[in-house]
Amino acid sequence: MAIGEPIVRVEDERFLRGEGRFIADYALPRMVEAHILRSPYAHATIRSIGLDQALALPGVHAVLTCDDLPEGLPPIHCRIPTHGDLSPYLQYPLALGKVRYVGEPVAVIVADTRAIAEDAAELVELDFDPLPAVTDPAAALAADAEQVHEAGNLAGRWGFDLGDVSGALEAATFMVSDRFSIQRHTAMPMETRGLLAYYDVGRGLLDIYGPTKVVHTNRNLLATMLRMGEAEIRMIEPDVGGSFGARGEFYPEDFLIPFAAIKLRRPVRWIEDRVEHFAAINHSRDCVFDVTVAADADGIITAFDVKLVTDMGGYIRTHGDVVPSHAGASFPGPYRVRNYRLDAMTVMTNKTPTGTYRAPGMFEANFARERAIDRLAQKMGMERAELRRKNLILPEQMPWHVGTESVKRPTIFDSGNFPLIFDRATDAFGWSLPYQREVDGWKRGRGMCALVEPSGLGPFEGVRIEVDQHGRVQIFSGSSNQGQGHETVLAQIASEVLTVPMEKVRVRHGDTGIITFGGGTYASRTAIIGGNAVYSASISVRTKALDAASRRFGIPVEELDLREGAIWHGLNNEPVAKIGDIARMLMPGNQEILQTPSAGNIPDNDGLVVTSYVRAVSAGAAVFAVHLADVLVDPATGETRVERYMVACDVGRQINPMIVEGQIVGGVAQGLGGTFLEELTYNEEGQLTTGTFTDYLMPNIYDMPPVTSLVFEESPATTNALGVKGVGEVGPSGVAAAVGNAIADALGTSVGLNTLPLTPQRVIEAIGFEVGA
Amino acid sequence: MKPAPFDYFAPTTLEEVFELLNRYGGDARVIAGGQSLVPMLALRLARPEVVVDLNRVPSLSGITEEDGVLRIGAMTRQARALASDIIGTKLPLLHQGLLNVGHPPTRARGTLGGSISHADPAAETPMVMLAYGAKMVIAGSAGERTVEAAEFTLDTFETCLEDGEILKEIIVEASADEGTGFSELARRRGDFAMVSAAARIRLDADGRCAEAHLMIGAVAPVPLRCDAVADALVGTQLTERRIRDAVRLIDLNSFSFDNAEVSLAYRRHIAPTLASRALAQAVGRTGGLRT
Repeated sequence: MAIGEPIVRVEDERFLRGEGRFIADYALPRMVEAHILRSPYAHATIRSIGLDQALALPGVHAVLTCDDLPEGLPPIHCRIPTHGDLSPYLQYPLALGKVRYVGEPVAVIVADTRAIAEDAAELVELDFDPLPAVTDPAAALAADAEQVHEAGNLAGRWGFDLGDVSGALEAATFMVSDRFSIQRHTAMPMETRGLLAYYDVGRGLLDIYGPTKVVHTNRNLLATMLRMGEAEIRMIEPDVGGSFGARGEFYPEDFLIPFAAIKLRRPVRWIEDRVEHFAAINHSRDCVFDVTVAADADGIITAFDVKLVTDMGGYIRTHGDVVPSHAGASFPGPYRVRNYRLDAMTVMTNKTPTGTYRAPGMFEANFARERAIDRLAQKMGMERAELRRKNLILPEQMPWHVGTESVKRPTIFDSGNFPLIFDRATDAFGWSLPYQREVDGWKRGRGMCALVEPSGLGPFEGVRIEVDQHGRVQIFSGSSNQGQGHETVLAQIASEVLTVPMEKVRVRHGDTGIITFGGGTYASRTAIIGGNAVYSASISVRTKALDAASRRFGIPVEELDLREGAIWHGLNNEPVAKIGDIARMLMPGNQEILQTPSAGNIPDNDGLVVTSYVRAVSAGAAVFAVHLADVLVDPATGETRVERYMVACDVGRQINPMIVEGQIVGGVAQGLGGTFLEELTYNEEGQLTTGTFTDYLMPNIYDMPPVTSLVFEESPATTNALGVKGVGEVGPSGVAAAVGNAIADALGTSVGLNTLPLTPQRVIEAIGFEVGA
Repeated sequence: MKPAPFDYFAPTTLEEVFELLNRYGGDARVIAGGQSLVPMLALRLARPEVVVDLNRVPSLSGITEEDGVLRIGAMTRQARALASDIIGTKLPLLHQGLLNVGHPPTRARGTLGGSISHADPAAETPMVMLAYGAKMVIAGSAGERTVEAAEFTLDTFETCLEDGEILKEIIVEASADEGTGFSELARRRGDFAMVSAAARIRLDADGRCAEAHLMIGAVAPVPLRCDAVADALVGTQLTERRIRDAVRLIDLNSFSFDNAEVSLAYRRHIAPTLASRALAQAVGRTGGLRT
């Protein structure tokens, strides 16, 4: 038994021993280092870039500008379908003619050391004509607004009008309308990005260390941009200290560093520093919802009417508009509301471009919807859990078609018993038990958020499983690992099916050199799609081993059995063969089985090796979750303290409960950061004003409440053989909503707490204050 | 995030320090614990030609007490001061203030003198020294001079230190029979305060307030002394009500810090609350009581 066991993560030992190999641990002979010179202006026309002084600095090898880019180089394309044509907004690796955000790459400086490269950067003469910066989406849409791109500041507009929203609003007994703002913030992985590119000039082969997340996609994109064969480029993922959606996308540097290595014929390494990370990594979340929610006299929610404006930043990147797309498609959440209208707009501004961040669109939509529902309950005088409970999608309505679509795929919840999980969650938390409203002058409030987190999206995943003569199993996965524990989880699945101990299973991943196709890591998909690929490949390995043993020993296959890593015949005391023996027999050229010479493929002796590509079901797997929080609020200062926190969710089936819990608790920590602390702010000139950890505040251990995860396996996913659902994004998804509702409850306010982060000042503003009172 | 090139010296005696500072004048910066200067160097916000490292000058560290007078070397680590029994018993306000300075790793390197000389308006240690009326011993090649804490900190990031001078030592007179209180609100524990308050209270034999000091930090370039509040408390029996009335005398008009994140109005709103808390805590701790 390996599936379902809380096995300690196999990768942790090397991390704890300091034996992990991260990109800055990699070096090659003759290696030089790159520094990206970035635009100091948010919006400007480039007149000239003077390089003489920089090139004259000893130790500098090259300074590459847009003039050095190959003729006809395409921009970095968007890998996800978008609402409308966003191609006019794509980014080139270096700014062409105009810069559109502070931090946009302008030149690549290559020198003996990073320090020299940074010295040289100060010697580059940037002659730029500053233009007014567009920093606010509302202002960007004004008629006389400065245009960030010729195609206009409104990049996209789409929506849905399902059912009869206007009729429902007219007929409504209760209605609440409010605006909810989710601040710009993003992933801050402990390890920043980095790349090391090595070009073998003679062979024309390019090796790149440092990519992650979607290495095959990135490899193919780079091959197109460099006009190379796909298999001539190898991207190799080292150990990676976090991604959360942001790290591993194809950024300008993913072209520039390999390009510099080819140009210089020397290995080039670039390690992003934290200040760069703030300006360069995809930002996220930055959006405003105008929500109207209507209900009838019985407390049945009859309509959601939503306007969504998202600040996309200066360019459209590889994620396109997937964040607002998900937010819009899943806005109705776990409620059976058929009248739903969405008017979504994506707006270009002179800020860092945006992309996904853990629970993309969902953290945002859940905050807006669940705060609005609390308001509605208050207005109706109905208990908040009761209102939610009444409107949940029922098990007999599964699969539930929301009626929307995102990235050209219909939004469908495959399975779930929402009321059951909801009841268990509220019971376990003691939601309806009375609680002391005041403690030492602090006020206590209770809040919840019910949500559906989609998971397991994306077209396919692949693995190849190889069993060697010693019975050791290697899994070559097309997916990537940035700390989630895939090396453990995938091994558990193979260990279970092949009946070999965990110690004999190794997982390798994130390397285009080890498997031809790969999907990658996003949308909480690896356990689902990668996991099912391993499951399917493992079953094929088992079948192949049993068939081989049957042929070799002349025993009908029905009488053979695989257990304890060996083939057994009936109740015999000794196995027929160990799985390693079978692997040896199946090696091409093996002499144990007499084969006629063959000029063609050797179909039966191609090793105990199976490659499996599993196609994902477009609905993915829907996780129902309830977040519950008790929060203390100091009404004198607006200080808050989350007392206890619970996430209850139905993940269908757990592969490793310890990893599931870790995902939830870590996710809550991240959600608390987005709720209380983290914010990327810009001034009117478009300068990032929270560009270091002095100003951009991450949650730390002092802020961490006790978190209980309550994980159920009631409704296995119907869209994959293992029945698993993705748990990676359930943790952060509902935090702002549950905590915001708890604070509002503590203060008994029906205004405010609509704008994240919930700083002490904003909390105080929600109850209004007079100076000196 | 690589500093601009600079020359680095690590002298072991004060004489060498002053010799270097004289030689390089305004081009030189001294480095103590590096908790502020190193990030500024990495961001190239500070670009000294020469960095003179004080970490290898043993005579700059240490805590001594003689007849109720404490002398604290400027290079004394915050962590060491925090762990010091002498400071814990004789200068409890400094102990309380240091609990709010950064985190164990930053306090392990950060020094008392470094923090005071950096003169961040939100920093705790300058405010504590003002509350104690400490004396700052300044040394240079021309010799030593001693100034009052109130004359040491001049403005945001600005002290009375001249080129070639360093803060060598802090002299604080301990007051045996007083209670102290410290209260601060930051976005996260250990971060720079949005508002902070420090209080010292001494009671007379009848339990009336004999002496009171209240400081408010992080609201103006230099921590504010609130003598009007102190005056209103002296001679009275200190009750919660009395304190609440007295903190209304905080001169909110002398607050000046205002930004989007933490507005002036918000600072003015929470300052009396934090001041009350610091004062109440101080009263609670009079007569050696610890709460």
